[in-house]
Amino acid sequence: MSPSDTDPTRKERREQARSERKALEAATAAQAARRKRMIQLGSVIGAVVVIIVVILAATSGGSSKSGLAKGKQANAEVATVSSLIKGIPQSANVLGNPKAPVTLKYFGDLECPICKEFTLGALPPLIEKYVRSGKLKIEYLSLETATHEPETFRTQQIAAYAAGKQNLAWYFIELFYHEQGAEDTGYVTENYLQGLAQQVPGINLPNWSAARNDPALAEQVTSDGQLANQHGFTGTPSFLLGKTGGSFTVLENPNLEQPSDFESAINKLLS
Amino acid sequence: MSNRVIRIAMIVIATLGLCLTIYLTYVHYSGTPPLCSTTHNTCLKVQTSQYAELAGVPVALIGLLGYIAILGSLLLPESEQTRFATVAFALVGFGFSAYLTYRELFSLHEVCEECVTSAVIMTVIASLSVWRFLRSEALPPDATLDAAGTGADTAVPPLSAAGP
Repeated sequence: MSPSDTDPTRKERREQARSERKALEAATAAQAARRKRMIQLGSVIGAVVVIIVVILAATSGGSSKSGLAKGKQANAEVATVSSLIKGIPQSANVLGNPKAPVTLKYFGDLECPICKEFTLGALPPLIEKYVRSGKLKIEYLSLETATHEPETFRTQQIAAYAAGKQNLAWYFIELFYHEQGAEDTGYVTENYLQGLAQQVPGINLPNWSAARNDPALAEQVTSDGQLANQHGFTGTPSFLLGKTGGSFTVLENPNLEQPSDFESAINKLLS
Repeated sequence: MSNRVIRIAMIVIATLGLCLTIYLTYVHYSGTPPLCSTTHNTCLKVQTSQYAELAGVPVALIGLLGYIAILGSLLLPESEQTRFATVAFALVGFGFSAYLTYRELFSLHEVCEECVTSAVIMTVIASLSVWRFLRSEALPPDATLDAAGTGADTAVPPLSAAGP
């Protein structure tokens, strides 16, 4: 076999060089395209992150971060709550005439923003129409949902029940919802609870502080949660409605901003 | 998996998402309670919450517009630009779904089944679109290259006109 048989011809060498050059060009082009796509993808991801952060910041402004109102704003909140419930009998965690024919059990978490919607929405007309007239009493019970730290939950709910020892629990509950802070900001501190208690009209603060150590109140929070579990409640607010002293049924999906769903259910029981 | 199969899968999934958001938008404006398997209709609580609207616009409507944008970019003749448009819309949708899921879990403490379904759909679409966008150089010549094989971006026929 002569060297000329194995050596590529000039034409073949040219073809080979050409195909190698083309392959190199193609590889370079593919690499450049891949880099361009990665940059484009990175830009989109960056823009999405910015958009989401802006949306999060904008939608977290619904309630003040620290919660507790001060000065004139605090006076205004107290005046609003007083005009709603002043003169209505209270006993422990119950608002309304103890002999009212119908009872609404309201399961709430004081840090729950949907409970706040209900407290500021459907609840005031119900209090005006049914509780003030002695037809309905509302019992507030505790179910942990929005508060992420169980100890904080117990502390704040017990603080409300402790006000109930002076038959002022509903002032504390209403003021808490009216001055609820931004969620997940850890605003419920000892200062917050003390500040809120100071706003409750006529409260004896030393007695309130002492009552917070009553183990019966801690047990009450626990038993409220157990009752909620028995009815399969996983969210707040949840409601049980029935004739006082009788059996209770779950109030399914009521409108929390308008009282109409509550009114029709209560009217049925009253008729 | 061929580019055509991925594209068809994405169109089918996006259509499901579109149907879901049409229903949720209808529920929002009609005021009827949404279908929900939970005893206390957590979907209703989520969809009537303060987070159900963004700057006064129902999030269901925002989702509907998002799915329309994704479907539109998928149905246009395929090119580098339309693939980029799909991945951009899908990632925005995925980010928005992540935000809504965060609100459900950590602000409302309620989970809405329809919202979770939409979030899953958007996650699948976003994953497929990223994969499709990054691997497009490996697609067969008829999908990405012109007839001369120059590598220039040319549109392939719309899916409806494409053969099997």
